[in-house]
Amino acid sequence: MQQEVVLAMLAKEPTYGYELRARFRQALGPVGAELNAGQIYVTLTRLERAGLVSVTAEPGQTRPDRRVYELTAGGQQRVAAWLAEVAWPRPDLAEFHLKLIAAAAAGLADPVAIVDAQRRELLRRLRDVQRAALAEPGTSDAALLLEGIALRLQADLRWLEACERTWTTRRSES
Amino acid sequence: MGRLLIVARLALRDLRHRPGQAVLLLIAITAATATLTLGLALGNVTSQHYAATKVATRGPDVVASTLIDSPAGQPAALARIGALTRAPGVTARSGPYPVTFTSLAVNGRPESASVMVEGRGQAPAAVDQPQVTAGTWIRPGQAVVERTFAGTEGITVGDRISLDGKAFRVGGIAVTAAVPPEPGICYFFGCGRQLQPFGMANPGLVWLPAADARGLATPAEPLSYLVNLRLAPGAEAGPFAASCNDDDVSSPAPLVSDWQCLQATDNGQVMTEQEALLTASWLLALLAVGSVAVLVGGRMTEQVRRAGLLKAAGGTPRLVASVLLAEHLAVGAAAAGLGLLAGHLAAPLVTGPGGTLLGAPLTPPVTAGMAALAVAAALVIAGAATFVPAVRAARASTAAMLADAARAPSRSGLLAGISSRLPVTLLVGLRLAARRPRRALLGAASVFVAMSGVAAALWARASLDRYDSGPGANGPLDQVLLVVTLGLVLLAVVNAILIAWATVTDARLASAVTRVLGATPGQVSVGIAAAQALPALAGAVLGLPAGAALFAVLSGPGAVTPPAWWLAVVVLAAVAAVAVLTFIPSRLAGRAGPAPVLLTGG
Amino acid sequence: MTLLSARRLSKSYGRGGGLVRAVDDVDLDVGAGETVAVMGPSGCGKSTLLHLLGGLDRPDSGEITLAGERVDQQGERGLARLRRDAVGFVFQAFYLMDELTAVENVELPALLAGRSPRAARGRALELLERTGLKDRARFLPSALSGGQRQRVAIARALANDPLLVLADEPTGNLDSAATLEVLRLFEGLHEAGQTLVVVTHDARIAATADRLITMRDGAFVDETRLTGGTSGSLARLAGLAGLDPEA
Repeated sequence: MQQEVVLAMLAKEPTYGYELRARFRQALGPVGAELNAGQIYVTLTRLERAGLVSVTAEPGQTRPDRRVYELTAGGQQRVAAWLAEVAWPRPDLAEFHLKLIAAAAAGLADPVAIVDAQRRELLRRLRDVQRAALAEPGTSDAALLLEGIALRLQADLRWLEACERTWTTRRSES
Repeated sequence: MGRLLIVARLALRDLRHRPGQAVLLLIAITAATATLTLGLALGNVTSQHYAATKVATRGPDVVASTLIDSPAGQPAALARIGALTRAPGVTARSGPYPVTFTSLAVNGRPESASVMVEGRGQAPAAVDQPQVTAGTWIRPGQAVVERTFAGTEGITVGDRISLDGKAFRVGGIAVTAAVPPEPGICYFFGCGRQLQPFGMANPGLVWLPAADARGLATPAEPLSYLVNLRLAPGAEAGPFAASCNDDDVSSPAPLVSDWQCLQATDNGQVMTEQEALLTASWLLALLAVGSVAVLVGGRMTEQVRRAGLLKAAGGTPRLVASVLLAEHLAVGAAAAGLGLLAGHLAAPLVTGPGGTLLGAPLTPPVTAGMAALAVAAALVIAGAATFVPAVRAARASTAAMLADAARAPSRSGLLAGISSRLPVTLLVGLRLAARRPRRALLGAASVFVAMSGVAAALWARASLDRYDSGPGANGPLDQVLLVVTLGLVLLAVVNAILIAWATVTDARLASAVTRVLGATPGQVSVGIAAAQALPALAGAVLGLPAGAALFAVLSGPGAVTPPAWWLAVVVLAAVAAVAVLTFIPSRLAGRAGPAPVLLTGG
Repeated sequence: MTLLSARRLSKSYGRGGGLVRAVDDVDLDVGAGETVAVMGPSGCGKSTLLHLLGGLDRPDSGEITLAGERVDQQGERGLARLRRDAVGFVFQAFYLMDELTAVENVELPALLAGRSPRAARGRALELLERTGLKDRARFLPSALSGGQRQRVAIARALANDPLLVLADEPTGNLDSAATLEVLRLFEGLHEAGQTLVVVTHDARIAATADRLITMRDGAFVDETRLTGGTSGSLARLAGLAGLDPEA
């Protein structure tokens, strides 16, 4: 997870470790279920080393979730800069695209079959996402996130349909 | 010039795109124009035929008659008639001719008719020498029969007739300006009492050698006399005659009638015909306006979109309105031409002199003035119904037009509420057909106008039947009534078809959806037909009193109500016609099932 | 239990060189309570197939059996009865009557089936409540959003408790939020045991189905069961690929 995300979640006020984890849980809903505490704390440690977060512990507390985390001035600057950025998460289409080309060139597998298999998989995932989305109350944060996942899957499925059309045509022409 | 080209091209294309509708419109306006032309043509007729006959027969300016009740009164009556012939202003006379009333039987036939027999000499008279149109003038033993009467009774030259039992041969058929044809004779000569023994009215006219005529007189039926007078040029016959209305027939003074009265009686028929035609042309014009309104209204969606496209492409509102008007005016102009032609060709049928008078049918029956009037009428009809939509289309905002903001169906909570309680078929029909109440109103109005005309014709028919003298007496008027009725019915049918198509097309998508929801095509079609038939019923029922009023206005008092079953049949026929004319297109449109409509989205 | 069964279904349009095989020798079985989605490119015949299954159109050849009755052999009367009692339709363009309120639209099939106005109105209100539109019952369609209109249309399709609901691109005219509303409804119907055949472009709708059929040029080219687990995690899908700050 990007460090900027963790930084941003601390931006409001100094926070206990367990509070931070609660915030993540609330924001991610079922998506965050797989996130374990360890990952968050590892990131926090690294951020502390980078001087972006300061950690205070109550006397006698060694557990991470009882420590108080707080942004430093540098951390605040980083958050401000990150909020202003417009980069979008990098899509991973090139890999699949190359997979199909390689399979066709080397005669290893039928590209159309690969596309179909991928489609099935994405549809199943879409189904799961939608089930989860419908289980959420309509206005929760998690619902919005799930919506985004679903729409992306939908877009990817559209591309896969295009792939199928193209590779089917190529197959019938060869 | 470029603009004109665009307008012309667009208008023409659109007409070609929908030829069926253009043709229907053409029919509607042509009918109205033709009737108008005929009506106007008749206006020229009235005076000319009588004048021609008067000249050809040396017709009299004044006719005087005296009816004698008993042989004792004869000398006095003759003296009075003689006095008239010496009155100042009289320049020529013929007669006094003996006149008697008797019955005529055509040999070989059982029925007899009543006739007035006028005794004449073989030599031509100075005033009123009837023009023989077939055969020859009287000879001993030979009678001459007046032409209209001969036509009514089917008498031709060479027939054997018997007058009061005495046999004669028909030597000729003739025409006169001095004596009006049946049923006018008794109107002038007050001969009702004389005909009582025969129990008949409305005598015809037969000329006999004077001696034979005298021989027909009986003590109970003595001779009467009539004399024909010519007045000095410039002398008015009217004042001389003093009166030609109903006088006291028992007074001893002669009954004097001037030639204008005679002409009016001769022309009475024609004037009635003309009135009928002109009234009919108004009604037809109304119906034609209705047709155009329905057509234009039914195509509003298309037109609005087209207009929007034109405007978006840079056309001014004026251009848009011009295209719309141009189309319909073009059809109107073509219809005017056709109507004029039809009127011109048909005019001889009604502008002929008829049996009574001499003369050829007027040519040319259609003058330039009439043509201009007819064309103007056609253009007004076409323009009237197009005007409002054209202006609206020109004014509306382009965006709205492109977004197809055609009139959305109106909502009636009352109707929706009522219809849900009706049987399914009517429910469907009302929901589908009542989406456009203005069109339903137009349908009712169209039936109303047509029914008014037909009802007026029925009242005319009933009145004629009551006062009728016999078959064929009102031949030309009958024909005119028939033509008028047919014209009105034709136009009403055209309107009904247009409205039906517009309704069915408009309701196409809704019908398809209703079928998807489970209505059978029969339910849909019957429903729409029933929903159209209800306003038609209202229009038809209201049209009856309207038609009666129309007839009363035209003909004055004395209108006779036709039998109730006539009216019932006509109303039912109208409603049935509308129902059928709506059912058929609906059924046809639904034949393919709802899928095609749904696939294209209506 | 198979509710709907089609064999060797074919339908063509046009003639000669312009002949289009909209549906080409298709076999289909739909079990009771199943949701089947049909996907494919435009013009592949999906809508035609649906119209055939619902008795809106007649096949050129083949047979269709719905709950034991042959659909393709019915006359117009029989088809009308079928559409009324056994099949509910949902269209992309909603096809609501513009001049009737929502509740009047929904009660229409019930009235057509001969139910009393009161019973029909009651049923309509109940259905509108189920689709969450009870407080908009007296609104005209023009006063409703796209999603709301489609929900009214769905309620209308359910008016006579049909055996089968056929939906033709139900979310074609809807935005993402409205699509979600319809999705929710369809899931609800699925859970209630309604048999549903949906034709759609939208993968999201297709993902609600038990079975997904892909159609091309009038024929079925693929069939997938969508039940069963997936191999991916939601977190990974969301981009939470580990809390590695190296990125």
